[in-house]
Amino acid sequence: MGTKLRSFSTKTWVKALAFILVAVAIAGITVKLQQFSYQEINPESLVVAEYAKSATFTREENSARNTIEEFIREITNSSKAAITMDVPFNYYLQIGEQSYSNWSDKKADYEALTTSFFGYENGKLIYGSANNPMSGDYLNADSLADILTLYLAFPASFMSEQQAEWDKMHLEMIDFVISILVLAGVTLLLLFYLFWATGRRPEDKELHLNVIDQLYTEFSLGALGLLVLAWLAVAGNLFYIQQSGSSIELVLYLLFGGATFLIASVCGLFLLSLVRKIKGKRFFKHTLCYTILAKIGDFFKSLFDERAFAKYPLTKTLFYRQQVFIGTSFLMVLTFVVLFISTPLFFFPFFLELVICYWYIKGNNKTFEEINKGFNASIEEQMKAERMKVALVTNVSHDLKTPLTSIISYVDLLAKEELPETATDYVRILGEKSARLKTIVADLFELAKASSGSLHLDLEELDLKKLIEQTLVEMEDKIELSGLQLRISLPEQAVMIRGDGKKLYRVLQNILDNALKYALPGTRVYVELEEQQNKVLAVIKNTAGYEMNFSKEDIMQRFNRGDQARSSEGSGLGLSIAESFTNVCGGYLDVSIDGDLFKVSLNFDRVGIVG
Amino acid sequence: MDYIINTWQTMFVLGFEGRKRVENVQILVVDDDKEIARALAVLLRSEGYQVLLAYDGLEALDMLITEDVKLLLLDIMMPRLDGLSTLLKIRETKNIPIIMLSAKSEDSDKILGLSMGADDYISKPYNPAELVARVRSLLRRYLRLGTIAEVSEVSSLCVSGLCLELEKKYLSIDGEVVRLTATEFKIMELLMSNPGIVFSAERIYEKVWQETAYMVENTVMVHIRRIREKIEINPREPKYLKVVWGIGYKIEKL
Repeated sequence: MGTKLRSFSTKTWVKALAFILVAVAIAGITVKLQQFSYQEINPESLVVAEYAKSATFTREENSARNTIEEFIREITNSSKAAITMDVPFNYYLQIGEQSYSNWSDKKADYEALTTSFFGYENGKLIYGSANNPMSGDYLNADSLADILTLYLAFPASFMSEQQAEWDKMHLEMIDFVISILVLAGVTLLLLFYLFWATGRRPEDKELHLNVIDQLYTEFSLGALGLLVLAWLAVAGNLFYIQQSGSSIELVLYLLFGGATFLIASVCGLFLLSLVRKIKGKRFFKHTLCYTILAKIGDFFKSLFDERAFAKYPLTKTLFYRQQVFIGTSFLMVLTFVVLFISTPLFFFPFFLELVICYWYIKGNNKTFEEINKGFNASIEEQMKAERMKVALVTNVSHDLKTPLTSIISYVDLLAKEELPETATDYVRILGEKSARLKTIVADLFELAKASSGSLHLDLEELDLKKLIEQTLVEMEDKIELSGLQLRISLPEQAVMIRGDGKKLYRVLQNILDNALKYALPGTRVYVELEEQQNKVLAVIKNTAGYEMNFSKEDIMQRFNRGDQARSSEGSGLGLSIAESFTNVCGGYLDVSIDGDLFKVSLNFDRVGIVG
Repeated sequence: MDYIINTWQTMFVLGFEGRKRVENVQILVVDDDKEIARALAVLLRSEGYQVLLAYDGLEALDMLITEDVKLLLLDIMMPRLDGLSTLLKIRETKNIPIIMLSAKSEDSDKILGLSMGADDYISKPYNPAELVARVRSLLRRYLRLGTIAEVSEVSSLCVSGLCLELEKKYLSIDGEVVRLTATEFKIMELLMSNPGIVFSAERIYEKVWQETAYMVENTVMVHIRRIREKIEINPREPKYLKVVWGIGYKIEKL
């Protein structure tokens, strides 16, 4: 049940309805107030049942007295003949021997009107204080006060008329108050409901924020304040129009009610946004001031944040020393200023600052030295590791080559011996395999050197076209033996690149060897060289004599050969070596496999043309 | 016709003399690996040389004092006294041919060894046939050294172990005669007159053929390859006629 109610009460349309109702109720209250102000209903009628006891009646009596006082001033100043006043009350005024009255001169007559009789003798209120305790004690008549008697009474007809009016107002007032209370109650209830429901949704218990909540709190508050001020301005203007009872009255109600509704709605949006912020505990955090202060705070915090240095004792000391330096320097400047104004001791902080500077620089220099020492040590270590790597490669290579030398030597000697036919065959195989082992060891060594970056390079400008031609001439025998046709397309002019000729010869040799070894007999091998803007591209293509069921990545892996079964020559390191050597010469080797087409391309930077 | 007879005569005389001397030639093999030393000894003895064995540098130095050694095969990485130090020590007193034999196969190692006074550098694992050829070549040159003044004429051009007999039109390598074609001879003449200088294929063509080179570089390259096959013990690792990759060719000035 509770959850049902909750899910119902957090539905968007329910909230919207409540919101509109609140706005309407607020508009209703304002219109009621407007109406009230137009109808000039005396709110006192609500609390004081009898007109005669009311402050309104006291004011009536006061004004009657004021009229009398005015009248006294008139007759004493202008020595005119007696004038009777046209007033709604009865009076008997006696000044010395002179008397004025509009009704009777008998006190008893006035006394008969118990609820509305006021008698002043010698200017003081003698009778009637019971009738209305708030009535004036004195009759202000200056020097005449001692000889003055006034009886003042409101006739019963006047009083009953007023009482009837009073009763009517009383009823209207009750009506008004009840409607205001009801509307206010509804408004408050719905507001509380909205305060609770805002930001909540039926599907979860999270607090949801919307677009308005992106506004900083100050802006929301400011908007709220401005709207209220605007409403007050509108209200003030409207109230002054005071067009009671006319046809324009309804228009004014509608106008004011509508304006209030609109303003209340917009205010409500901002108010609910603020409520959501409070509920989300971000009312203060989401202010512009807080954000700016936080940013500034972060900035200063980052200046004094030592966490980054905590791990490294050297930089930590540097950091702390710096802080101490800044702090004390600031202090010195401050004391300097203070002392400069008051005493001749102002040079004292100046000298102290010099001492601080000395301490700071001395300490820093020491730390810098230590840092350098550590840095050098680490570089030294790195170099040592690099040297050890090279040494390891060299040693392993030596250790492999020494037994291999023995094997090759003795196999050779064995081959020269007179042996049975089968043994000769075995020795031949041994010879072949040991020769291959020799190639592998040499290749491996070279590759290791190239990868460890300790390869000796003789970089010079050379003609790649010439290099390709030389390589082809060197490999003429192999090419003829393979029975493959070579299609060579080279540019007419020299193609200058920067590289190590020997290494690049190895690169081309390995790639061509590869092509010759694995190309389909009777097909063509293409060797192409072309210049592009500032690049040089050499491409060697062949049609594979077997299915290349491996990827470009596989073939570039060390010790990987296209077809394991097809050849027992070579070390399987050919392409790897070609790649390494190309790289150390500043080039880039790429392999692509497209069906049976195997293509190796070499990219180099061009160096410009030399005749 | 004269040319051919001369060539044949020279070859016969030199070849005969070379054979004759082999018998008394003593070679010292220095290697800390006893098996390798033994294999080398067997190999060289089968070629008719007398072989002495030493297993480190100090031993080798001792032996050099007592024995008349004509050639040294010297390993580098050895205990007690390493090959390079031994080499320096020997070079203080003797100028016998020394071949460094080492598992260190880097160019820098070779350059170091040669610049410290070695006559040749063979990296392990060696090719036995090549090793024998190199030994023979060096010995020929060394043993002929005394007679070179008699044989050589004004009209001969000698660089390192190569001698181009300009009149008799033949090339001798450490005394061994090699026949070259007329074009090959002209190319060698050009390169050997300017040892150490790199000639591009075009320039060689222009100088030798006396024509403007146009797309004929291949011709030159093929000729040079043939020459190399004739004069080099291992054409893949030429000692005399070197390829400068991507630039040209030169005769190495040792």
